[in-house]
Amino acid sequence: MASPRPLWQPLRHCQRSLLAQAQQPLQARFLSSTTPAPASLAAASSSSSNANPNTSNTSNTSNAQQQQQPPPPKPKKPLTPAQQAFLSSALRVNQAGELAATLIYTAQTPPLVAREPHLRPLMRHMYEQEAGHLSTFNTLIAKHRVRPTALYPLWSVMATGLGWTTAVMGREAAMACTEAVETEIGGHYNSQIRALLEMVGEWEAEGYEVGGEFRELIGTLRRIRDEELEHLDHAVEHDAKKAEPHWLLTGVIRAGCRGAIWVSERV
Amino acid sequence: MPRPGISCSDGARRVLLGPLWPAAPSRPATLPSRAATASTRTITTSTNRPETHHHHRQPLQPLQPQGRAQFPPSRKPTAAPPSHQARSYHSHDHPPPPGPFTPAEASLLSAAYAHVPAHGFTPEALALGARDAGLLDISPAVLPDGGVFALIRWHLHAQRAALAGKVGDIVAAAEGGAAVMTVGEKVEALTWARLRGNVEGGVVARWQEALAIMAQPSYIPASVRELAQLADEILYLAGDPSVDPSWYTKRASLSAVYAAAELFQTTDRSPEFRETRAFLRRRLDEAARAGGAVRSVGEWIGFNAGAAVNVLRSKGVRI
Repeated sequence: MASPRPLWQPLRHCQRSLLAQAQQPLQARFLSSTTPAPASLAAASSSSSNANPNTSNTSNTSNAQQQQQPPPPKPKKPLTPAQQAFLSSALRVNQAGELAATLIYTAQTPPLVAREPHLRPLMRHMYEQEAGHLSTFNTLIAKHRVRPTALYPLWSVMATGLGWTTAVMGREAAMACTEAVETEIGGHYNSQIRALLEMVGEWEAEGYEVGGEFRELIGTLRRIRDEELEHLDHAVEHDAKKAEPHWLLTGVIRAGCRGAIWVSERV
Repeated sequence: MPRPGISCSDGARRVLLGPLWPAAPSRPATLPSRAATASTRTITTSTNRPETHHHHRQPLQPLQPQGRAQFPPSRKPTAAPPSHQARSYHSHDHPPPPGPFTPAEASLLSAAYAHVPAHGFTPEALALGARDAGLLDISPAVLPDGGVFALIRWHLHAQRAALAGKVGDIVAAAEGGAAVMTVGEKVEALTWARLRGNVEGGVVARWQEALAIMAQPSYIPASVRELAQLADEILYLAGDPSVDPSWYTKRASLSAVYAAAELFQTTDRSPEFRETRAFLRRRLDEAARAGGAVRSVGEWIGFNAGAAVNVLRSKGVRI
């Protein structure tokens, strides 16, 4: 591990691998690149998946022979408890957020569309995208055995109330609500993607293989973040900035979102 | 051999009353050696062994288990390890993190587990297990509180981990003739398999004293967490798809049902525990009926509220 990061605690096997690395002569460590090293190691230990890929000194000699055959798969590192906690709280918050978004749009649509029927296609498009996001996160939560948020009913009630209130206040208020929520959500997804990229970068730097699960997760989060930012653009296009008072509405809603995110990560 | 039908065994009384427990006239005040035929040494003398003896036993270190079958006897309990914390994320691509027991603890506890049917969840079983694993008899002292609760946790953990291996057998047995099992049927089958695990491990007669130990205030959080993890494991292996508040209600009700069925099992004398199985089926039916009733009430309320709002909108009220 290049630099200590407060979020990821090294496990026992990591410490053993660091000790093994330290015991190697320096030249051997720098000579052996990460790609061929796991090849000889994977042959040596069939069941160990925690092995340090840099412990082999003979990787250079076997490099030439490896060119003809496809390289054997590199080992994957088990997740640390901190990483597991981060992933489970991330998925939990994302599911809560998408639930709130679908309920906000469901509650906003009837009062808004009754006044301005030309907004119906836009509202339907945004709702369908949010419903797709929610089903994506529901699938991920079930697949990875993550606990959903315990305050599910509370968020449902509050999101419905927020959607209905802002829609009754008018189109500008409804769009300002969407703008505020999507700004917070966009920043939130960005920080999650950044943390996941850090995790993946660390694994690749240590010579481990990254499971397809994580690449898919990063791709999914990127796509969803882009769609949320698209909703933000639509909201601003439809006069979100003209709501009176814009600063109060967006300030209160953004603070509420941040609080809800903080709570959902834990409860 | 196990004593039938008593509500509070000697071991539990000793744990609960401690120094107030009157020494029985036939036993010395220090830890007795129960398996008198198995070994001529008592536990008290073995701890006084001088250091100069060249003995094959060594202090507790990371070591290999010596010839003692681990639980479960035919496979390692790490096939599909369950989540250790209530908040963990289970990766399908990456290998699982190490379990809650270190290799040294695992070897000691698995060896001691084999002595539980004869000696119960007691320091005697731990000492005999330490001896089997080639350690000093005092070795269980490195475990917190002498290791009795660790032995109980080992039993719970190993039984829960073994469930993953049993799912395949359950599903195959069901699809022999009938249609595919529903989630409810799988839940019942897995819960019954877990209760059978108590029987196969030989701990049913010793379980009341173990429950008494688990009910001590300092152990209650860990015991409740183990029960919650078991309910989560059973529902996950049964393929439960819920990701809303029913996630919580299902696990809570399954935990209650399992705890009741396990307690019933400790006093069950019927052949092959069929009374326990009937008890389990009745409790699961009740839980299903209660869940159905709550869902119906919720649907009725939701329908009527939505209808009221739509009626008001049709009258021109701007809501």
